[in-house]
Amino acid sequence: MRKIFNNIFYIFLCVFTLITIISLIFVILFITKEALPTFKEVSLMEFLFGRKWMPVEGISDNPGFGIFNFIAATIYVSILAMFIAVSIGLGAAIYLSCIASERLRTVMYPFIDLLAGIPSVVYGFVGLNVLVKIFLKAGVHTGNCVLAAAIVLSVMLLPYLVSSSSDTLLKNKELYLSAGNALGVEKWYTIASVILPASLKNILTAMILAIGRAMGETMAVMMVMGNANLFPHILGKGESIASVIALEMGTAVSGSTHFHALYASGLVLVVILLLINILIGMLRRKLVR
Amino acid sequence: MNLRCFFIKLWAYAGIFLVSSVIIFLFSYVFINGSSVINHDFIFKPPSGIVLGSEGGIFPAIAGSMAFTLTAVTVGAPPAVMIAIYLAFFCKSNKIRSLTHLLIQCSAGIPSIVLGLFSYSLFVRDLNFGRCILSSGIALGIMILPFIEVRAEKAFSELDYDMIRSAYALGCTKTHVIMTIILPACRAELFSGIILGGCYAMGATAPMIFTGAVAYAGNPQSLLKPAMALPMHLYLLVAQGHTSLNMAYGTAFVMMAVILMSNILVTLYARRIRVSLKH
Repeated sequence: MRKIFNNIFYIFLCVFTLITIISLIFVILFITKEALPTFKEVSLMEFLFGRKWMPVEGISDNPGFGIFNFIAATIYVSILAMFIAVSIGLGAAIYLSCIASERLRTVMYPFIDLLAGIPSVVYGFVGLNVLVKIFLKAGVHTGNCVLAAAIVLSVMLLPYLVSSSSDTLLKNKELYLSAGNALGVEKWYTIASVILPASLKNILTAMILAIGRAMGETMAVMMVMGNANLFPHILGKGESIASVIALEMGTAVSGSTHFHALYASGLVLVVILLLINILIGMLRRKLVR
Repeated sequence: MNLRCFFIKLWAYAGIFLVSSVIIFLFSYVFINGSSVINHDFIFKPPSGIVLGSEGGIFPAIAGSMAFTLTAVTVGAPPAVMIAIYLAFFCKSNKIRSLTHLLIQCSAGIPSIVLGLFSYSLFVRDLNFGRCILSSGIALGIMILPFIEVRAEKAFSELDYDMIRSAYALGCTKTHVIMTIILPACRAELFSGIILGGCYAMGATAPMIFTGAVAYAGNPQSLLKPAMALPMHLYLLVAQGHTSLNMAYGTAFVMMAVILMSNILVTLYARRIRVSLKH
């Protein structure tokens, strides 16, 4: 009887897992299916590297579907955000792993994790009310700019960067610090010359992962970055791929090239993220060896 | 002390100071600015005013957000936990395991806005559900699935294996062991994964912009009707500009309070379980 129950549970589990896996694959295939009709109208190169985005037929005589500026803005803002986040977060990670006591750490981890829980609209809202106003006072036209978006994004990335790099640092500290102490090397010298360099590879993967996370972010970026189809400059406006989709999907006519082009932009985003994931997988495999 | 050491030490202190002050700033900014509009009417009345939302309350948005979150958790959590159980205890082939991991990673990487696109064209358009709680709930559920799965699998892999091996040695079936030992031992982690996943779904706006959240609706009655949602409401209030700024602070206040409370709840629960496991 128990055996039968066990087998039933097993089969149930397998079927359920299989269904979930198939539906996850289905999501990606479905997006691809909706995206493909775009390329009947526009060539892939034109789509990826064109700068003219005039998607609505009728307003202009020759519509253009080039998302190069959007791709550039997405990558630009994500990398900028990642660098800001690393320059702050790595410091915090060093503090947590090398200075803080065990007790303090158990308090600080959930405290920093609070950042991960804050909804992205709230980030956008606070960014709009605080950062954008500061930039406006500083003389940036309308205050919306790529740098503001990158700062907002960097705060959103902090919890991931801090927790993953602090984990690595902690592991390496346990490996090397007592050996360093035994040799009579000063603690901070061991940290600076052994522990940090040893953790660098893992921190690098965390950084790439953070770029991936930043690229998919919609609301916060959309509210702060200004949304203009321009090539991104640090104090200029820009528009990310996710914002284009969020802003224009509601008005795109179902079945039109505009509609499909939005799916295609989504697909481009997914493909970039897939490439990032594969890159990280390869990096990890190399690190294990 | 050499200069490099000094700089790294300085970096560490500066980093933790900045991170903590950003967190404290965010919460106190929203709480201080929002507290002036929080009262009984704001929580329990529907929005009103000539510019919608500039007066009245946000009750339908709170109720709607609950409906979205519950649907998302119902859709996302069970498969997440099951995949985690399957991978941790039943999967024998390494190939299948690493392929599934790759897939989970990839789906964690799908931007939420793309999930919204998917749900829009499949459920809203092709299957004719229309904009409704269910269409959004499914998109949100897919979004939180990898989030919960990763946490659950981590909890399973950190278990004390002696107890499990002893149970097998006593002749227990795998199912029995999972039901009576593993799931109870991991209840804190599973609970926290599901609650934080729920918070994540509650705060996400992108997947529901065109799948189920609307500017005004009554209290949610059925899964096949659209509803209001807190993050969407906040976004629309911000888009309206200065007239509704106070109400926007209030809405943000409510969301931040929910996030703060769930995080505290999860941390305290995990600590209690850890203490009770020690004794």
